[in-house]
Amino acid sequence: MKLWVLRGLKKGMLTTKFPKEQPTQDELSRKSFPPTPSKVSDWERGRLICPTGAIQYDSQLAKSEIDLGKCIYCQRCSSAGFEFPETRDSTSALKATFATNGDSAYESDERLLFEKYSKLWKSFKKSFHVLMIDVGSCNACNFEVLNLSNPYYDFNRLGIFFTNSPKHADALIVVGALNKAMVDVLKRTYDNIPSPKLVISVGACSISGGIFQNTESFASPVRKVIPVDVVVPGCPPTPIQILQGLLIATGRIKTTESFVRAPTDIEETSEQEEEEKNEGSSSFKGVSG
Amino acid sequence: MLRKFVEQIVGASPISKAIQLSAVFKIAGEHDDDGRDNKEEILAIWADIENNKTILSLVPSVEELGRKPETLLLCQSSLSFLPLLIKSLYSTPGSQIDLDAHGLAEGYGIFTFLYGPVTFGVPEAGGFKFVTYGERIVKVAPTINFKRRGIEQSIVGMKPDEALLLVERSAGNFSASYSTCFATAVEDSLRIETPEAAKWIRAVAIELERIYNHLHAFAREAEAATQSVAANQVHALKERVLRLNAKYFGHRFLFGFNEIGGVKCDLSSREDREELFSSVREIAKEFSEIVDYFLSSRIFLDRLQNTARLSKEDALSLGAVGPVARGSGIDWDDRQSYPIEPYSDIFVPLETSNDGDAMGRMMVRIREVASSTVAIEELLDRLPAGKTKKGAGEKNAEFQSTLSFSATTTTSSLTQSDFSLCRIESPSGDLIQIVKLDKRGRIKSLHIRPPSFANWLSFAKSLEGNVFTDFQFSFESFGLSYADSDR
Repeated sequence: MKLWVLRGLKKGMLTTKFPKEQPTQDELSRKSFPPTPSKVSDWERGRLICPTGAIQYDSQLAKSEIDLGKCIYCQRCSSAGFEFPETRDSTSALKATFATNGDSAYESDERLLFEKYSKLWKSFKKSFHVLMIDVGSCNACNFEVLNLSNPYYDFNRLGIFFTNSPKHADALIVVGALNKAMVDVLKRTYDNIPSPKLVISVGACSISGGIFQNTESFASPVRKVIPVDVVVPGCPPTPIQILQGLLIATGRIKTTESFVRAPTDIEETSEQEEEEKNEGSSSFKGVSG
Repeated sequence: MLRKFVEQIVGASPISKAIQLSAVFKIAGEHDDDGRDNKEEILAIWADIENNKTILSLVPSVEELGRKPETLLLCQSSLSFLPLLIKSLYSTPGSQIDLDAHGLAEGYGIFTFLYGPVTFGVPEAGGFKFVTYGERIVKVAPTINFKRRGIEQSIVGMKPDEALLLVERSAGNFSASYSTCFATAVEDSLRIETPEAAKWIRAVAIELERIYNHLHAFAREAEAATQSVAANQVHALKERVLRLNAKYFGHRFLFGFNEIGGVKCDLSSREDREELFSSVREIAKEFSEIVDYFLSSRIFLDRLQNTARLSKEDALSLGAVGPVARGSGIDWDDRQSYPIEPYSDIFVPLETSNDGDAMGRMMVRIREVASSTVAIEELLDRLPAGKTKKGAGEKNAEFQSTLSFSATTTTSSLTQSDFSLCRIESPSGDLIQIVKLDKRGRIKSLHIRPPSFANWLSFAKSLEGNVFTDFQFSFESFGLSYADSDR
């Protein structure tokens, strides 16, 4: 018993300072940095090389973009002049977490999400219980989601917890390429979560099918079956990126770079007003009593 | 010898046929009495099976299986652990691996229930059919194929280079084993001479993978026993291994470091290698300290000892592989029994335990963390100098043509019946891949025998008679993965 305590003290603190400070270089894998399209020499070649169709190019429409929801960071396109930054700039990796780069499928939902969020955010701020469901992953995303509870990331310190029952959950983390056999299961699990509820789609597979989009058993992207609120691209995304996704879902990171544009100002003022009101009323009571 | 064995099986009952056939691949790695390697023989039999000559006599007919369509389904799925089965047999989601499909588990107080596919003790999509009597488990049938992605089918016709991306995502946590196995088999088939250094680096990756998977299994066991302090400490060690992977191989789960004909990462600098090894040694040392604390905890040991016991006879007849087989006293490790290149040069101790229970398997894993560390030291110390990629920096016309596979190029060395087989000792055991390429060098067929698949039956057998609360210990000690077996 003593030994455990001593050991714990000797190890010191391992936990990341992430939401307050930018993540360190160790916390972000090199493959969480998106390819930089600024130095692209040949879009057409890149489009042909890309195994998941993440590089979209149409010379007639003058459309050239990288859909990070499909990118599996295989770096095959580096032979066509796409560059993967070697320098470890943490902000670029985090921006990538929610960049969707103009995929119309993501953008059409954005306005709806905005409305949904402004109502929901307060209820999820202090305690947030998530349920992970696997709909056909390769197990790497499962590992990364479970890693959130290890001492390095420790999401319990932020008031986020795993739960084992849909009835207790506030949010559903979906990992994996949606298998035909799992469509009904996913729907039923989603229906069993009491509303208000959020859905976080983790990994390229759940967002777009990723590398498995051409396999026989792949049904559809998760957002075609249940409404998805936040997407976390990557193959697999690092725990820091998933953590950022959870914090954005709960409205605790206010970033304009995020997929969901948080109504930051409105949210803050209304909250402050409410707090002032509460304080005012309580002090009034105190005086009257 | 092998052909005789297969002929003997044909006469047996449907279920035992399936069970015994899984041993075929086990025997394939063993030598004959006169020391002859029978790899050639297994490949010949495999060719027969491919042409449906032998397989038809092996798959039981409908009459044999019984009258009910349900029993047919059950038997088919229990057959499906054969690596060599017709695709349609195991494409049903939710098919059960049932040891005793005919046996009626009914009676007063016997309660049957399905658990899954959203199971929260197991963070993957898969389930179990339990037959319980009070607290006791009478029978358990793992329910698989909920997340079957059909990788073997979908890579047909692809270039090996493209197919590698899918194959290494068969099981994310065994990615290094999968990609190495596939790349080695394809290189063997295309007769590409992979640089020595690349092969040694692959072995380093496989050992790192083994370490983090064993740490994960141990941490999950500790979690199941609600020893959360220790579990978190081991999870922290696992995280450190994952970060080492990211630093030296470019990916936390070792995706994409392998390619046909070499590896992408570079460990040529001596300082890098020493730094990598000293980090691994430190992790192994801290793990052994934690284990020492654990072995003095009576509460933890009580949960593991005598839980999910698997006798040596059962392990042999059910075709158990990996730490499960070694935990039951079978001295089989592909790194020694069927070594690919770097393993034939280095010393890897074979760790076995005669206990056969969850404790035995866990001890095998604990010792393997240490032995993998020793192996990594030797691999990094004696890493051959030279390039890690065939064709890097030089224009090798023949190599370029085999890799680029332009439609007009035909590699004359390839023949129609060119198989290549590779076996790798993955963290959960013996992984077998059989690759067949066509004349243009594209994938004609790939057959994977995942380690988890071979162990489902042993798992089901070992749980019989245990209490329900021991389920988690049993499951984690087997190191089973649905992603792996469903592929």
